[in-house]
Amino acid sequence: MTLELSRLTKQVQAMGEKLAARQRQHADLVALARRWLTQYAAQGERLRHPARAIRAAIPTDEPLDAVHPLPAIPERFTVIAADGSQIQPDRHGAAFYYLINVGSLVYRHGSGEPPEPYSQPTLGYTEDDLYENGRLVTGNLLDVRRDLAEITRLADLCAAEPPGPTGSGEPCGSAQGRPGRTVALVDGTLILWVLEDRSEAWQRAKVMAYLDQLSRIREAGAVVAAFTSRPRRTEVTRLLQLAHMEGDASRAEQEPNPLEHLPDRAVFGTLSPGARSALFTSPSSINYDYYQPAGHTVHFFYVNLAEEGRDPVVARIELPVWVAGDADRLALVHGAIVAQARITGDYPYALARADELAFISGREREAFEEMVTTALLCAGVRTALSPKAYYKTLTRRGRKKYRG
Amino acid sequence: MSEKNLQVGRVLRASSRGFAIGCRVMQPEIPVFGSFVRAEGLAPGSAIYGLIYDVGVEDDPFVRQFISADPPEEVVRDQRENRQVPIEVSVLAVGVRRGFGSNGENIRHCLPAQPPVTLDWLYQCTDEEVRAFTARFDYFRLVLEAREVPADELLAASLRAAAAARLENERETFLVEAGRELARLLAGDPVRLEGLLRRLRNV
Repeated sequence: MTLELSRLTKQVQAMGEKLAARQRQHADLVALARRWLTQYAAQGERLRHPARAIRAAIPTDEPLDAVHPLPAIPERFTVIAADGSQIQPDRHGAAFYYLINVGSLVYRHGSGEPPEPYSQPTLGYTEDDLYENGRLVTGNLLDVRRDLAEITRLADLCAAEPPGPTGSGEPCGSAQGRPGRTVALVDGTLILWVLEDRSEAWQRAKVMAYLDQLSRIREAGAVVAAFTSRPRRTEVTRLLQLAHMEGDASRAEQEPNPLEHLPDRAVFGTLSPGARSALFTSPSSINYDYYQPAGHTVHFFYVNLAEEGRDPVVARIELPVWVAGDADRLALVHGAIVAQARITGDYPYALARADELAFISGREREAFEEMVTTALLCAGVRTALSPKAYYKTLTRRGRKKYRG
Repeated sequence: MSEKNLQVGRVLRASSRGFAIGCRVMQPEIPVFGSFVRAEGLAPGSAIYGLIYDVGVEDDPFVRQFISADPPEEVVRDQRENRQVPIEVSVLAVGVRRGFGSNGENIRHCLPAQPPVTLDWLYQCTDEEVRAFTARFDYFRLVLEAREVPADELLAASLRAAAAARLENERETFLVEAGRELARLLAGDPVRLEGLLRRLRNV
């Protein structure tokens, strides 16, 4: 064992004490934030413009402290989740490639049918795959490709999904007039995160490709949402500080914010089981530069997934304006996510399964690397790990006992 | 009585003494403890016969989470049909067939010279094959001496399966002959013999 745990004892002890002290202070800050939420609840319209300037949550027409109880959950609806994972190109490996694996699950509530799991691996190995404008497809570039693969898979599945029963009889208003009872779910955010050091044309191309898939989901009559577990965003708490500064954006930026590190979810811990917060608009610049002109402006709300008598479990849900602005679609997303999360306790079942289907384990990585090596040998290419990778295999495999 | 070539699953790992196979779903008659199964051998027409001695369903923390809850039917079916794949079936090798045909003449009760290979199909033996294989009782010794299998229970179950593969008026004669062979093999262990014969009486 190379991690000297005994050398960490004092540091871990100190960390525990510090965290306990922070938690006591945290309770005071939560109380302050909740007081401000109520106090400034009606000031949404006034705060809308300055909020955008300081990247705080942008209020909608609802009071900031609005609470919406859990709507009636339809008996039959479909949740489609997709998630992805990747193997980064490794210059120490037997060959230079990347792998994206997208897992998805189609779960038809109330059908009694087994959900449909699927995994789709894609290998990138040609020069065109591996380089984009001269840059190696790794890090954020590969993340973007994975995100695009996930949303494309969701759009494909939504397009293939037959129109479901309407339940209440109220169609969710698809372009083709198909009754919409399908919720597409992604893990994390709907806003494609592209590094700003890339050219604007490149950013636009990537984001537009993502938005095209959101449009396909809308055209299929489905709705789409993103789920963040234990979110750490501080956009609503920044808005509250702005409200306390009477909407003065420059004061809010200059003066110390007592709520600076307080996550939004702490403010919404008072939501009753299943209830959601008011809707807000995401202040991200990408949201305004690209999503809004394409009709996909991202909104969000917080929801308490816990059942009666349990500690609150607050998640953040993002959804495009065409879902947020339609009462039926919004209620469908709200109810579907709570129903899904309550299967497991606090996380949507379909997302948990999609993650499982996407996950590439260490053993699978090793097996795939062996497969690549064999294929190269069959093709007459002699290959080897880099010296660094080779010695890692020697030092990290563990030791064997003498067994006689 | 089964007359068709029913697939049980594919070979996951194998040795000369036995093999483990994976199958997707448990059906009412497949896989069954004590039933005769067959994998194709490497030589044309050859086969390896075995007895199913264990059917295992694994768990993990995710499925354990639903034990105390009341999960929806969709979740139950997802866990059973999609997640618990493969169901692992362990097979004890008890014989080989050399060449085509399923008459008793080309069947030998012994360990195979080579095990089946990964992803080979494993089939449920037809009644005809079971009758041919159990025309002799040499495989008893392989089962009785096998370690890490419930040998007596397995042998009794295999004899019940073999009896069921015969016409009703032939079953008793078959079991009496099997009992005689057991009495010969276990003459030095009357307690074990009695236990086995008791199991056979329940057919």
